[in-house]
Amino acid sequence: MFDVPALAILIPALPLAATLATAALGRHVLRQRSHVPVITALGLAFLASTALLVQVYREAGPGQDPGKSTRQEIPYERIVTLWTWASVPGAYESAPKDRFKTSEVPETSEVLGPAGSSADYEGRDLRVAVTLRADPLSAVMLVTVTLVSLVVAIYSVGYMHGDPGYWRFFTYIGLFVFSMTMLVSVSNFALLYVFWEGVGLCSYLLIGFWFQKPEAAAAGKKAFLVNRVGDFGFALAVFLIWIAYGTLDFHDTMTGSVVTSRGVLGQAAASDAARVAGGAVGTAICLLLLLGACGKSAQLPLHVWLPDAMEGPTPVSALIHAATMVTAGVYLVARCAPLFAASPDALHAVAAVGGLTALVAAVIAITQNDLKRILAYSTISQLGYMFLALGTGTALGVVAAMFHLVTHAFFKGLLFLGAGSVMHAMGGVVDIRRLGGLRRRLPVTCWTYLLGSLALAGVIPMAGFWSKDAILAAVNAPSPSAAASAFYHCLFWVAMATAGLTAFYTFRAFFLVFTGPERIPPEAGGHARESSLWMTLPLVFLALASIDVGMHLQWTGSLREFLARAPSIVSLGGIPHAAEAEGDWTLAGVSTAVVLLGIALAWLVYRGAPASQRWLVPLMEATGLYRLSSNKFYFDQAYRGLVVRPLERLARTAASFDHWLIDGLVDLIGTAPRGMGALLRPLQGGLVQFYAVAMVVGLVVLLGALLIF
Amino acid sequence: MAVDESALLNGYLVVGAMLFGLGLVGFLSRRNMILMFLAAEMMLQGVSLSLTAWGRYHNDFGGQMLVLFIIAVAACEAAIALAMILMLFQQGGSLDIAVWDELREANVPAYVDHGIPEELPAQPPAWPKLTPAGTAPEIPREQTDYRPHV
Repeated sequence: MFDVPALAILIPALPLAATLATAALGRHVLRQRSHVPVITALGLAFLASTALLVQVYREAGPGQDPGKSTRQEIPYERIVTLWTWASVPGAYESAPKDRFKTSEVPETSEVLGPAGSSADYEGRDLRVAVTLRADPLSAVMLVTVTLVSLVVAIYSVGYMHGDPGYWRFFTYIGLFVFSMTMLVSVSNFALLYVFWEGVGLCSYLLIGFWFQKPEAAAAGKKAFLVNRVGDFGFALAVFLIWIAYGTLDFHDTMTGSVVTSRGVLGQAAASDAARVAGGAVGTAICLLLLLGACGKSAQLPLHVWLPDAMEGPTPVSALIHAATMVTAGVYLVARCAPLFAASPDALHAVAAVGGLTALVAAVIAITQNDLKRILAYSTISQLGYMFLALGTGTALGVVAAMFHLVTHAFFKGLLFLGAGSVMHAMGGVVDIRRLGGLRRRLPVTCWTYLLGSLALAGVIPMAGFWSKDAILAAVNAPSPSAAASAFYHCLFWVAMATAGLTAFYTFRAFFLVFTGPERIPPEAGGHARESSLWMTLPLVFLALASIDVGMHLQWTGSLREFLARAPSIVSLGGIPHAAEAEGDWTLAGVSTAVVLLGIALAWLVYRGAPASQRWLVPLMEATGLYRLSSNKFYFDQAYRGLVVRPLERLARTAASFDHWLIDGLVDLIGTAPRGMGALLRPLQGGLVQFYAVAMVVGLVVLLGALLIF
Repeated sequence: MAVDESALLNGYLVVGAMLFGLGLVGFLSRRNMILMFLAAEMMLQGVSLSLTAWGRYHNDFGGQMLVLFIIAVAACEAAIALAMILMLFQQGGSLDIAVWDELREANVPAYVDHGIPEELPAQPPAWPKLTPAGTAPEIPREQTDYRPHV
């Protein structure tokens, strides 16, 4: 019906229109019907995204070149330029050749990036155009984002029912979906940064949605500030990209069928890997991008904001802090995969960060007692998985990361919504020690939560199994050098251990909450029953999706072949034949065994004989792991001591300086005339003779002065 | 016969200055509003006199014209000032200017008239009473009119 450009514009435009409508009318006109425009727009945006996906698939998908034996794919991208947002003519100055020269990197011709001489780029314009792109990567992201948003929005109708900020909530949700769809469909780094901040803003607004609650306000602030650190890195990366490449566009600028100026990640770049900046600059760009991605995707040093972000409403946790926004970092690294592929050091950093995050977050999740916080750490851990896959730098790894991103969006969304349903019925109690045996009271929630847990743990044939296995396979794939092989092999076992831990903590929560003797906290009151259809239908839908998505995408292999046509992934060298068809069944066997071991352990400890707790907890305590885990590896304390306290002290010093010195000066200027007035006031005594004498004296003084001078 | 113009001017200016000075002293030293008004009038007349004298000296009628203006304004001023003094007297029951000090600053204490200390009642001079002794000195006849040693 529509062609690709129209759809690409329509997808962000619909949520934007709904946001404006809700913002304008929500407070006084729509009130408790504020969800209507937003849900309508999200539904239409989802349909448009599906249409876009189908269209892109038809144009770019597999089967276009059946007889080809070499798997060198042809990159596919479509560009729509709406208008030029900013333009600085002749802004580019090519860097002097020796600016980035380092002693270790003799091949300086490649260091600088643009193939040929950089003089070609001399005096190029800095043009930031509002350009939308459609390629397999963004199409997949768009469908995921709009579908999960739609489902969560429908769920929110039930969850947020009666909240005084109902219209505000849906306005923010619409704004978020607009920002997120723009984030994945813009085609240059400057606008990517703009919408990167846009989703950060929505995240802040929605975490602090119940801003009267001090914890929520503090959590929003924390998220915003921690993200600033990452955004700082991202901004520096954008500057460096401009210096190294002379353009901020992803795409190539075409005149007719001739490429007039090449983008960073466009089709032309995809066919010419040597063009990518390597060496020190390339590594610096990648590490800074990684810092940005770490902030947004809650990776290891900057993950502290995500668990606190659970103060927001649960649908927000599901949508923004599990399914979509936090995957922006994964999207960014996937989009910039060619840049990362050119610098092995940066790739290793990505993989190490991912692997470490996955393990640490999983260990922390074991001892948490807040249901939502367990899921938050599990999100961090799963995002770590995705980074680990991206860190392999192969097409296989990137595709596996995207695969996991899609499946994770469904089952983590499902788990959060299930947790929200539990909270809703239990009067806001999320402490798993105070809940128990809810399967009779909340049957739909229980069964869907079970499916979500199976998917998260990665039990065959749920979605998580396939995508997790794809990641494990990608990490286990042979590397060119022995050192790299050993490195990735270590990470492979880290990932495997994480898989076991994931299964354990997921089912720990499930067994405690849904099985065993019924324990209902007094806060639940009389409404400890299943939620309304608005909330259960999305749960059922997501549960079905969690079963189906992984299997479907794995067996047809369509996602893999489809994504392989994205310009960013083409240059990674395609996917080897052997890895795709049947997968590695020994690997699947081992990972399934590990997962089942984790579940069995959880069953033993939390459902079976309570005696078994007696050896597990002391074991953990003896190794110090329990303290470490329940204190979240002391990250918050470390930040408090190293960053917050010194900054607070600095701020207090500055404040007292301001109060005593600056304000003192200003006050002095204010009080000086008063003092002067007080000095002269006695002269105004009301005695006429005195005035006359004063006049005479003044006259005499003037006349005397006249005579003397 | 030619008049010594500058001597004439000097005389007039001295008289004018004296009038002005007397008026000033009167204005500053008196507290009776009518007398202060009269003193002010006297200062005006002093100025008027010197203006006339300067006009004569320069053979310029500007000075006299100014004096006519002063007289006219002084007449108006007299009417208004006397009316005001009358009103003030009716309200305050006193012609003392120090009674009217309401325009002073709020936190400045009002002027308190301690007055001049009352004079002691006049007493007859007490002459020294000396007992008469000896004989009255004899004054030579020629010295009754003129005594050189006194």
